[in-house]
Amino acid sequence: MSPYWGANFFEFFYILIVRIAHWNFSTLATDEVQIGVLGAVAVSCALLGPFLVLKRMAMFANSLSHTILLGIAGAVLLLGGTAMFDLSHLLLGALIAAIATAFFTEGLIKVFRLQEDASIGLVFTSLFALGIVLVTLYTRDLHLGIESVMGNADALMPSDLRLAATLMLINGCAIFLFFRHFQLASFDKSLAQTLGLRGGLFHFLLLFLAAATCIGAFRAVGVLLVLAFLVGPYLTARLFCHRLKYLLLWSALLGIGASLFGVALARHLLSVYDLPLSTGGIVACSIGLFYLIALAIRKIYLFTLARRCAIVNGA
Amino acid sequence: MNLFDFFTDPVLRAPTWGTLLMCIASSLMGVLLFLKKRTLLAESLSHATYPGVVIGVSLFALLFPHHEEKSFIAVLLGAFLSSLAALKAIEWLQSKGKVSSDAALCFILSLFFGAGIVASSAMQSSLPTWHKQIQMLLFGQAATMTDLHIALYGSLAFAISLFLALLFRPLQGALFDRDYAASTGIRVALLERIVFWLLLLSIIVGIRSVGVVLISGMVIAPAVAARQWTDQLKPMFFFAAFFGCLSGLVGNILSVQGSIFLSTETEKMILPTGPMIVLVGAAIALLSLLFAPKRGLLFRLFRIGAFHLRCLEENLLKGIWKKGPLTFENLRQTFRIPPFPLYFALQRLLREGWLMRDQKTYSLTLDGSQKASSIVRLHRLWELYLAETLKLQVEKVHKTAEEMEHILTPDIEERLTRLLSNPKQDPHQQPIPQRPQPL
Amino acid sequence: MKYAAMEAESLNINHGKTPVLWDLSFIVPKGLLVGIIGPNGAGKSTLLKAALGLVKPLSGKIDLLGESATKVRGRVAYVPQRESVDWDFPITAEEVVMMGRYGRLGLFGRLRKADREAAAAALELVGMSAFADRQIGQLSGGQQQRLFIARALVQSADLFLLDEPFAGVDLGTEKSIITLLKNQRDEGKTVFVVHHDLPTVEEYFDWVILLNTRLIACGPVSEVLTQENLSAAFGKSQSLFNEAAALSLKSKTGII
Repeated sequence: MSPYWGANFFEFFYILIVRIAHWNFSTLATDEVQIGVLGAVAVSCALLGPFLVLKRMAMFANSLSHTILLGIAGAVLLLGGTAMFDLSHLLLGALIAAIATAFFTEGLIKVFRLQEDASIGLVFTSLFALGIVLVTLYTRDLHLGIESVMGNADALMPSDLRLAATLMLINGCAIFLFFRHFQLASFDKSLAQTLGLRGGLFHFLLLFLAAATCIGAFRAVGVLLVLAFLVGPYLTARLFCHRLKYLLLWSALLGIGASLFGVALARHLLSVYDLPLSTGGIVACSIGLFYLIALAIRKIYLFTLARRCAIVNGA
Repeated sequence: MNLFDFFTDPVLRAPTWGTLLMCIASSLMGVLLFLKKRTLLAESLSHATYPGVVIGVSLFALLFPHHEEKSFIAVLLGAFLSSLAALKAIEWLQSKGKVSSDAALCFILSLFFGAGIVASSAMQSSLPTWHKQIQMLLFGQAATMTDLHIALYGSLAFAISLFLALLFRPLQGALFDRDYAASTGIRVALLERIVFWLLLLSIIVGIRSVGVVLISGMVIAPAVAARQWTDQLKPMFFFAAFFGCLSGLVGNILSVQGSIFLSTETEKMILPTGPMIVLVGAAIALLSLLFAPKRGLLFRLFRIGAFHLRCLEENLLKGIWKKGPLTFENLRQTFRIPPFPLYFALQRLLREGWLMRDQKTYSLTLDGSQKASSIVRLHRLWELYLAETLKLQVEKVHKTAEEMEHILTPDIEERLTRLLSNPKQDPHQQPIPQRPQPL
Repeated sequence: MKYAAMEAESLNINHGKTPVLWDLSFIVPKGLLVGIIGPNGAGKSTLLKAALGLVKPLSGKIDLLGESATKVRGRVAYVPQRESVDWDFPITAEEVVMMGRYGRLGLFGRLRKADREAAAAALELVGMSAFADRQIGQLSGGQQQRLFIARALVQSADLFLLDEPFAGVDLGTEKSIITLLKNQRDEGKTVFVVHHDLPTVEEYFDWVILLNTRLIACGPVSEVLTQENLSAAFGKSQSLFNEAAALSLKSKTGII
């Protein structure tokens, strides 16, 4: 029986704080596993998302999030195993996906001279369709296909937490070590090239990490909600901050905040209204909610600022 | 069963005709998005239909629980409203929110879909049978369509085609040059509104057969394929509709046959139509990219090869014109090319009557001689142009002229002759062969 | 040749379907302030990008300081056109200037105090110290331009390539920039500037490369700026040439 059973929104946080204070985490409650996984995913995405958006690669990330299905299918075929997989499956799948997406998209653009948006669109829809067909044929069940799109945050286990935490660590290290390179590659590709810093290498590294993060997250939130984590917190943070390092920090905080809020809200709706809703979906909506709130705060702030200026200027 | 059955059998014909007509609608709109380079908008909008569909069907189930066959009205209406909201949100983000277009598309896509998933999970517990229907909309499932569907989707597809036909001229103008079109009085803003509404319509029509997740494939692939076969707008619409139609038909047949193949006695397996249709569409696009005449890759490679062959042949003719009859060995040493291409080129020249062979020596025929001298003429005219008119250094002009002699057209030659006043000598004091006089 | 700042040899470059640079060959010695002049679309920006190795030529080559672009990375500084910059990027003026030092840090290096001081000094030199913490989108046109020059200065390069640095910039900034560049020239560096304003060419530059898809002239200002050369560059007599060049490109890439 979960310690959070029957708790409403505020009781949820109370119980959480009490448990953290006593630090009795011998057995993690499902809600805590959810917070852990979603939070780790949020941090991973917060580290990568800003660079993807600044490089105008958000839709390319969307492309990746679809082709990872093929990557997973490929990894499972090559390494064997079932839907439960470990780090090696994940990394191999991510590599396959990243390479396939980049290779085919660039191929269409450069060799066949197809426009960029159509290249992206054609590649991911066809590879995703292929992935669905393969998965359906292999598992004789469409369920994995649907689950890959929707995720199932309500069936998470501690092993998922370990996986998400590992990914978070990998992303953290990469960004910490190579922040300047990613920053330069996003801001000024030509400077990167003229300085001899391998813009192309870091471009692919970013893709690979994004693919790995998508795969790591897909069990929790499905391929499409990862995009919310990648893009949403960054757009929100950008409303009130303009330094890249702080943007990474704020995005992470917002992502974790949305995860906490979302899981608490899901528990509340279950306890009080007896509605078992998708936690992943609620968290994605929370990200949207935070954006709207930040937007409203900003508007109010600018409004009062303008009024104060008008008063000062003797209006 | 044979192909004909798919169109006439009472169970099979609705899905067949239905998917066919749906795919026509999305392909047509795809052409417009493709030309505006905004194909990924379809991806965002299609995912944004999800919450509307779920909420719409839930409301319908609560209000009219016994009219399941009519539920698609709720699907269409719900999809339309939520994708319209998404469209507005995307536009706001891009204009007022100062967000780049791809980030806006991504954000709205994930948010709306997330909301849809929440709604879907609510539905799963309270309205399980209806929920299964919704799940089918994710990847498309044509098999349960009825004749009523054919009528509805058919008329929607027809409406879209009619609009495009009626608005063709102003559309073409606005697509090509928006500002100019606006300046001639075409109401560009209104046109764009209409196009977006038609786009929403085509997407919500398409999601039944191809599914929410993959409909953008049916918007993009036929347009990509169509562009390869024509350079004009009207044929492009027809090609796109044809390819869309073909993808819908073949994909549907494959999914039906595939489902039968996969099903066992105990377990009924459904291979969803969406992925099959998209795979067929993508295959058509790929084949078009490779094999279409004019723009296809293979043809481009072939043309490049043909050009190089022609250059080689013309150089051979020039060489024999300058140096007199030569043997195979002489030619191989002068031009330094491997024997096989040389042999091939020489055979072609012989066959086409530019060269003749006597024992081991190749010499020019009368026609060949004229052709060679006209090439030399082009070479020397160009040299003169570069040196006299453009004042380039005389030492440099020979190399570019070597290249340009194979490229200059008779029209350019005419203009050069007039510009340089029918010259007789090139910058190296060599005589310029005159044009052959008509007899 | 080792004593040349820039050397091109039969350089041919196309962009999409149009030929941009055609059979370009020239040599420019070191220690000069060089203006690259020509009408719109003449290929001036492309020339800089090709020299930096950012654009691959169809044939021919172009060297800087006697070597190809990849070998002189640390010694060449590039100031791109202002419109190619993403001014919404979350980055301050100071951070932009410090980017100039990234080249010497390698893969894992960290920015040191010396780097920060060099950046501060460069900002001081261009008169931008007060704006160090501003997000770049909040700067005026002239300030943005000066910022990117500061970044180039901090690279301690031997050769500078600037693409239209005076476009949309006030006269005061223009004067101060040209003074800066002349100082660099006096210290023995070579500076290449893509310039669009003919009347000021004689006043600013020692040497001129005059081009219009092909090279018209390359040499000291007084030699190049003749009536004949200018009319060849800016006049209409080369429409035939452009047409033929376009045809040639189509044949080479198999496009109809």
